Amino acid sequence: MIDVEKAIGSGNSDLKEKVSQLSGIFSYEETAYHLPVTFALTGIQVHGAEAAREAYAVTHENPLVAMECLTASQVQANGKGQAPYTGFIPDADLRRLGYSLVDGSILGLAFVCGTPPHPDMAAGICRELQEKLMLTFLAGDVVGSLTGEGIKVGVEYRLVPLGPRPSHGIHFLDVIARVAMMFGGVAPGDADRLLAYARERAKAIVILFPGLSDGEIAMVNAFSLLGIPILSIGGYEGGAFLPVDAADAVRKGMEIKGIRVSVTAIPIPMACSPAFEGKSIRKEEMYVEFGGGRSPAFELLSVRPKEEVKDGQVRVIGPEIQEMKQGGAYPLGILVEVSGSQMKKEYEPVLERRIHNFVNYGEGSWHVAQRDLIWVRISKDAVGKGVRIEHLGKLIAAKFRMDFPDLLDAVQVTLLTDDQAVMDGKLLADAVYVERDARIQGLRDTEVDTFYSCTLCQTFAPNHVCIITPERPALCGAITWLDGQIAYEISPSGANQPVLKGQMIDQARGEFEGVNRFVKKASHGEVDRCSLYSVMEYPMTCCGCFECIAVMLPEVNGFMVVNREYKGETPSGMSFSTLAGTIGGGAQTPGFAGISKTYIGSDRFLQAEGGIGRLVWMPAVLKEELASRLREIFRKRGLPDLFEKIADENSAGTIQELAEFLVRAGHPALEMPPLL
Amino acid sequence: MTIRTLTDWTGVVGTVMLGATAADGGTRSVSYTLGGESDLPFLGDPPSGHIPLVAFELCDDPAIWPAVVREYAGDLSNDPGKWAKAAEADYGADLVRLSLTSTRRKDFSGYAALKTTIQEVLRKCRLPLIVEGSNDPSIDSEVFAVCGEAGEGERLLLGTAEAGRYRSVAAAAMAYHHAVVAQSPIDINLAKQLNILLHEIGVPSDRIVIDPYTGALGYGFEYSYSVMERIRYSALKGDTDLAMPMISAPTDSLTVKEVRDAAPAARQDIAVKWEYYTALSSAIAGAAIVCVRHPRTVPLLKDTLAALWSGQTPGKV
Repeated sequence: MIDVEKAIGSGNSDLKEKVSQLSGIFSYEETAYHLPVTFALTGIQVHGAEAAREAYAVTHENPLVAMECLTASQVQANGKGQAPYTGFIPDADLRRLGYSLVDGSILGLAFVCGTPPHPDMAAGICRELQEKLMLTFLAGDVVGSLTGEGIKVGVEYRLVPLGPRPSHGIHFLDVIARVAMMFGGVAPGDADRLLAYARERAKAIVILFPGLSDGEIAMVNAFSLLGIPILSIGGYEGGAFLPVDAADAVRKGMEIKGIRVSVTAIPIPMACSPAFEGKSIRKEEMYVEFGGGRSPAFELLSVRPKEEVKDGQVRVIGPEIQEMKQGGAYPLGILVEVSGSQMKKEYEPVLERRIHNFVNYGEGSWHVAQRDLIWVRISKDAVGKGVRIEHLGKLIAAKFRMDFPDLLDAVQVTLLTDDQAVMDGKLLADAVYVERDARIQGLRDTEVDTFYSCTLCQTFAPNHVCIITPERPALCGAITWLDGQIAYEISPSGANQPVLKGQMIDQARGEFEGVNRFVKKASHGEVDRCSLYSVMEYPMTCCGCFECIAVMLPEVNGFMVVNREYKGETPSGMSFSTLAGTIGGGAQTPGFAGISKTYIGSDRFLQAEGGIGRLVWMPAVLKEELASRLREIFRKRGLPDLFEKIADENSAGTIQELAEFLVRAGHPALEMPPLL
Repeated sequence: MTIRTLTDWTGVVGTVMLGATAADGGTRSVSYTLGGESDLPFLGDPPSGHIPLVAFELCDDPAIWPAVVREYAGDLSNDPGKWAKAAEADYGADLVRLSLTSTRRKDFSGYAALKTTIQEVLRKCRLPLIVEGSNDPSIDSEVFAVCGEAGEGERLLLGTAEAGRYRSVAAAAMAYHHAVVAQSPIDINLAKQLNILLHEIGVPSDRIVIDPYTGALGYGFEYSYSVMERIRYSALKGDTDLAMPMISAPTDSLTVKEVRDAAPAARQDIAVKWEYYTALSSAIAGAAIVCVRHPRTVPLLKDTLAALWSGQTPGKV
């Protein structure tokens, strides 16, 4: 074991000694950045021993400055290295390299140096770095190890041999320093900006084998100041060095720096695309099925600490598909575990909903419903082509990574097909579902200080702004407050932005200062005020996507709600489509509001107008759809027979018939304060 | 005739420099500043900002170029260098836009030839240059690397960045100090989002030119006009993510049905008029650069723009 701290101490005094012995003039060729590391850190243009010593002193004897000056002095004396070594990389080549970094054709930079204990260890690491689109710089004996193993080195192979000694690794840092100055706008001499840029933007890692001199250890250790993780394989202890196994080095380094390989193709033997989402697999086409009331099945997505999630890992616990009888129904548990620094527990249900889409993307896999109600089928065709249970897991893992690249760092999937394992898992999952329901249902507008906007529809309704609250989903019904939160997290400059509530202006109407401010700006100055819980005063604007329209009916002192699916006439004398044409396009129309179906069941619905007791008419189909939820709500509000008092097109087709029906039924709206 | 604005705007359109003269280490005979407007286009006496520039667009492979232009230009259309020279000396264009149509060919691999073409155009013509690279993501990386490098030091305008594929062109602009055309499909929100994406990757605002996409007159131009108006309003209202100058290339106006089906004798005239009116409308909507492909459109547009700019009524075309 080498004690890194001790080596740094003696390395630094070694470097200090050598710097004091520097003499004459020296510089790199084909660069406008002098000695780039020194120039970036100090702004001093070093072209000889004196300036070198000045810069060294200014940086309080920084080992990087020392190593750079010493290297440049050696290059001056002995010439640039011999092939295959590149030595200092000229600016023109660096520009091309920087281009590839910005362009995304290389994902990051790695520096591998030292003497590998076994040549094949270095070969394995470098191959992995190549596969993961990293540009790797090499210095020291590792170069010989690789060529000895028959691995070709050179810029074209993304393996750049800098020089024969680990000290040539200083060129790795002069690359980063120049990228920061060329692309990051870092001014020479602004050491703080340089460090900040390197920490945040430079996707760089170091992998270290034994065999470094003390001075070289001091240099490499100083790389950590730039936020570069130093992963050491064998032989080092202390300092900024992180001991790792050779097999984990690349993965670990990339994880620390958040360098992610994007998944482009899913390696499973069936086609996979949103094009297949709408298909169904009929009984005759089916090989096996899971759930759907025929066997126990469930799905659960949970966030885990990153140590517990191995990206891409898919396990099947229980029999595989070959061991299942054609036409049978078997138990299934789909456990998706994810990790990510931005990932939050509240996002779980939102992401879990995506399992449904993803499984349906498979040409031969089909999925309906959610949670412990799922029903999954795999087709005979697919099984004939070699599709196994395992491939569902691969599909789900890959799609999550593709669709949420910034949110998720790692996704692993476990598929349970063992009877007992499914039963045990389902018990745990049920507890989670209960907990989640409590969280979402319990969430009140008063408990949060931030709502979310949606301006997705401004493409056709330029001034429309949806404000999404926990109790009022977007008027299209497709985006809840949690979805808004996650969408903002995933795409911070997207169509869903956080809206700070700010001071309350009117409690009943649900008017907030912060919301007004946001709406004014986002509607390009068109809408000054927006009340979230009122249809009569300053209602929210409508795009055109509303699931339902709530309409004030002055003749009966109440409101009707009509849904998009209903094609007939309403007591207002207008059909849904006529109404939609009247209120859409981003306008604020008092007396009319575009709403989601879920919002009808919210405590906030018609709050300013006296609540759900004002609801007098709905199409039968909508009434039917919401029946159980509405009955529950009416019961809680002490209006147990209200459901029967609400008319539909069968009991009241015109406004006169409606008025008569309501009087007959004794509808409470008739007794409420006049709306106008 | 001068129309005065009635609104007190709070924002200003940002500026973008194109073309580097010897003083800036380039070889262009002139450099332009786009943007800087503090009011709607053509309002004020004199109007704020700069008179719209007319770019003549040519290509390195005329196979997919409009027939009316090939017919008019003859052999010139096979020699981008000479053609660019004609654009400067004969047509009187303010800039040249070189469209690398050769990259549209199947299995394209002539990267070295692209470099030669760009350098040839830069040598023969001293106007600032706009280069339109590939429109195939699989070759973007190599094409834009060549474009960026071939024009190093000349402060080109490189196109085109789109929401799904902007990294290569942005990288070329950052590595070799060029500006970028940021194109969105007639959608102000997407225009804004793309500008934000370009910022995030490190392209500064003063190197972004918005291309809101331009349909031909009679073929959806009104949508383009409306989006350009709204982008300008947003800029003037203080939205810095949209406060960049705009470029408009009504590239479809020479291949509309009315031109294709015109009697041969009248075809050239109709083509020029169609392009002229589309480009002029774009300039009035707020474009800082309008790109045209018919040589005869260039002087007509320049005359009209100059007249409008100085408050005169333009002559009949």
